[in-house]
Amino acid sequence: MNLDFLTIDVGTILFTLINTLLIFLAFKHFLFGRVDAILEKRRQELTDTYAAAEDARSAASADQEKYAKAIAGAKAEADEIVRRAEKTAQSKGDAILETARAEAHAAREKAQLETERERLRARSELQGEISGLAVELAGKILEKEIDPSDHERLIADFLSNAEHAGDEA
Amino acid sequence: MKITDLFRGSDGVDVKGPGVLCSFDIGGVTINLTETVVLSWVIILAVTLLLAWLTKDMKTRNISKRQAVAEWAVQTVYGLVEDSMGKRWRPIAPYIGALFTFSILGSLISMLGLRSVTADFNVPLAWALVTFVMIHSTNIRTNGLGGYLKGYVDPIPVMLPFNILSEIATPVSMSLRHFGNVVSGMVITSLLYYALSMITKGIGVALCTIGIPAVMSLYFDLFSGFMQAFIFIMLTMAYISNVDGNAEV
Repeated sequence: MNLDFLTIDVGTILFTLINTLLIFLAFKHFLFGRVDAILEKRRQELTDTYAAAEDARSAASADQEKYAKAIAGAKAEADEIVRRAEKTAQSKGDAILETARAEAHAAREKAQLETERERLRARSELQGEISGLAVELAGKILEKEIDPSDHERLIADFLSNAEHAGDEA
Repeated sequence: MKITDLFRGSDGVDVKGPGVLCSFDIGGVTINLTETVVLSWVIILAVTLLLAWLTKDMKTRNISKRQAVAEWAVQTVYGLVEDSMGKRWRPIAPYIGALFTFSILGSLISMLGLRSVTADFNVPLAWALVTFVMIHSTNIRTNGLGGYLKGYVDPIPVMLPFNILSEIATPVSMSLRHFGNVVSGMVITSLLYYALSMITKGIGVALCTIGIPAVMSLYFDLFSGFMQAFIFIMLTMAYISNVDGNAEV
């Protein structure tokens, strides 16, 4: 049995209304509802990612500031250390220089003293030698007939000897 | 049916209304369970399964092709609704999408050799009635009941019958346009098949029954079905936003 080609059938209209409602609910639930949810979730994730990135950026900026401050502090400390070290080195160097100068002074004094003593010793030796020479000369004069010329020569020798000794001393 | 019958084609043109599978009486009103209704259920079931499969295991990243198709479909319908009705009508998008799909599949089911759901006048009529209710409820919401009723005697009271007629004409023209296009396609296709069968019988070779029906079907089923579904949803949106004073477009 078939309906007429063009007929208004209340049953079909009612069924079609219900069917349209069903397919609408299927679209709403399975397509639009789910896709909307996933789009919203994606949007939320994107927002969260941006927020996280912003947080990380500000944290990094804060860290950088902190490090800059720390580096500045370290630099000041280093300057202070260098300054102190320089001061210490200066005072130490001064002390060393002072000691060295004092030592040099003492050494020079000692050397002078030594020289003086040596000189005195040489002089006393020379004196002894001259006395010996004089005695020897006297002995030679006495033991020889001395002619005036010999006499004169002896004296000249003696003098030259004495001069020589004096020069050496 | 034998293969030879298939090549010979139809023996006559017989355009009938939808078949009645069973009918029952509720309070004096005869309710028929027709071919149309059962095929509608098949379409709804298929669409529901397809949608459930498309939107299964959706992710926010590294989306599958299925999900891309689902998202594209949703965005397209939203775009269409927003363009023709404004952003505040977004909630109607699932209905527009459902109506479009139901209409296009209802027409295209003829390609499986079944009777088009939309070739039953009651189907587009039911949809047009939904549109009609939406138009008038939107009108009342926008203008108030007084303003809505006053619209019928605008600009002069004499216009009342014509205004009522014009309001009734909207769903009638919408449903008849849809029905007429699909059914005329169906009739023309039947006539064509009959004519081609006659030629085949005349020359004894199944030359014309192969190929030509496919090309005809491309226009009368595919193109016409798509066009009518599209026209129906566009008219629905246009009529509703026409009486919506708050529409942004």
